[in-house]
Amino acid sequence: MSDHAQHGPGGHGKDHVPHILPLSTYFKTWGALMVLTVITVGASYLNFGPGNLVLAMLIATAKAATVALVFMHLYYDHKFHGVIFVSSLVFLGIFIAFTMFDTETRGRAEAMEGEHPANIKDPFGGTASEAAAKAKLKPAAAPAHH
Amino acid sequence: MSAPAEIVEGQPSAERGSPQFEVAHHFDSADTQFDAGRMGVWLFLVTEILLFGGLFCTFAVFRSWYFEDFVEAHHHLNKVMGGANTLVLIGSSLTMALAVRAAQMTDKKQTTRMLVITLLCAATFLVVKYFEYSAKFEHGLLPGAYFHGEGFQGTHAGVFFAIYFLMTGVHGLHVLIGMGLITWMLIRNLRGDFSSRYYAPVENVGLYWHLVDLVWIYLFPLLYLVG
Repeated sequence: MSDHAQHGPGGHGKDHVPHILPLSTYFKTWGALMVLTVITVGASYLNFGPGNLVLAMLIATAKAATVALVFMHLYYDHKFHGVIFVSSLVFLGIFIAFTMFDTETRGRAEAMEGEHPANIKDPFGGTASEAAAKAKLKPAAAPAHH
Repeated sequence: MSAPAEIVEGQPSAERGSPQFEVAHHFDSADTQFDAGRMGVWLFLVTEILLFGGLFCTFAVFRSWYFEDFVEAHHHLNKVMGGANTLVLIGSSLTMALAVRAAQMTDKKQTTRMLVITLLCAATFLVVKYFEYSAKFEHGLLPGAYFHGEGFQGTHAGVFFAIYFLMTGVHGLHVLIGMGLITWMLIRNLRGDFSSRYYAPVENVGLYWHLVDLVWIYLFPLLYLVG
C-alpha cells in the first residue's frame, strides 16, 4: 500500500503494485463463510418465532460483510469505495422502509373515514375530533327521523 | 514491496508482463487508471444492488401481507439443494478471489486453474437450479395465475412462487453473465494479457462475481429458510 504514494506527477513509467493478501486470509474467510452457512441452515430447523428472520438476516449480513471486506478487498481498498457501497445499502433501506410505511398502513384511513366521513363540499371545514363531537351531539339524527 | 516495483522505467514492457498494456494518456499513473476503473465497477454494483433491491422490497411487502401463505409455500423449496448451492457459490467466490491473487502474482497457470474451477462451480450452481426448477414445474408450483399446486391451505402461494422465480431467475441470469465474463477473462489470461502490472479486468469481474454471491447470501435464507 505504501507504494501508492511513491508515484510522482505525470509518471507514466511506474507500474501498479498490487497489494497481495496471504493465502491463509482467503482460506480463513472461506472457512468462516462455510461455518456461518451451516449455522444458518441449522438455525432454520429451530423455532424462534419472529427471531428466525432476525437471526437469518444477522448471519447473512455477517457473511455479506465478510465477503465485501476480504474477497472484494474493501477493507484494504480506498475508503471511498466502501462509502459508495454502504450508501447504496442506506438508500435501499430507505426505499424498503418508506414503501412499507405505505403498504403496512393501507386501509387504516378508510376505517377512520367510515366512522367520521369527510364532508366533500367542505373538506377543510372541520377536524376529525370536531366531526366526532358533532356526531355525538346528534347521533344519526337526520336520516332516522325522515 | 515486490519485484515489479523495482523495474526501471523504459524497460520493454514485454519483459514486465502484460505487453499490450499502456497507461492511457489521460491518466496520471497506472494506479490512477486502476482505481478509476474499479470505482466505476463499484458504481455499477450499486445499480445492481438497487435492481435486486426492488425485488427484495417486493418480497418484504408481499411476505408481510400474506405471511401464512409464504411460510406454507416456502416449505416446498428444497433446503438441501439451496444449501448445497450456497456452499458451491461461496466456494466459487473463494476460487475467484484466488484467481485475482494469482493474477496479481503473474501466476498465469494458477489464474487459469482458479478461473476454470470458478466456471465449474457456476455451472454446478445452474445445474442444481435446473433440477429445482424442474421439480417446481412438475408439481405445478408456478408463478401467479399459472400456479396449480395441490394441497395448499392459503390462496396466495402463487405470489410466493412468482417472487421466487423472479428473484432466483434474475440471479441465475447474473450467474450466466458472470460465466460469460469469466470465460472472457480465461481467454485473455491464456493470451497472456495479465500480470502484476495489469490485472484490473480480473479484479473487476471478480467484484461482479462476489456481488452475485452477496445477493444469493440474502436470497437463500429469505426464500428457503424463513419464507
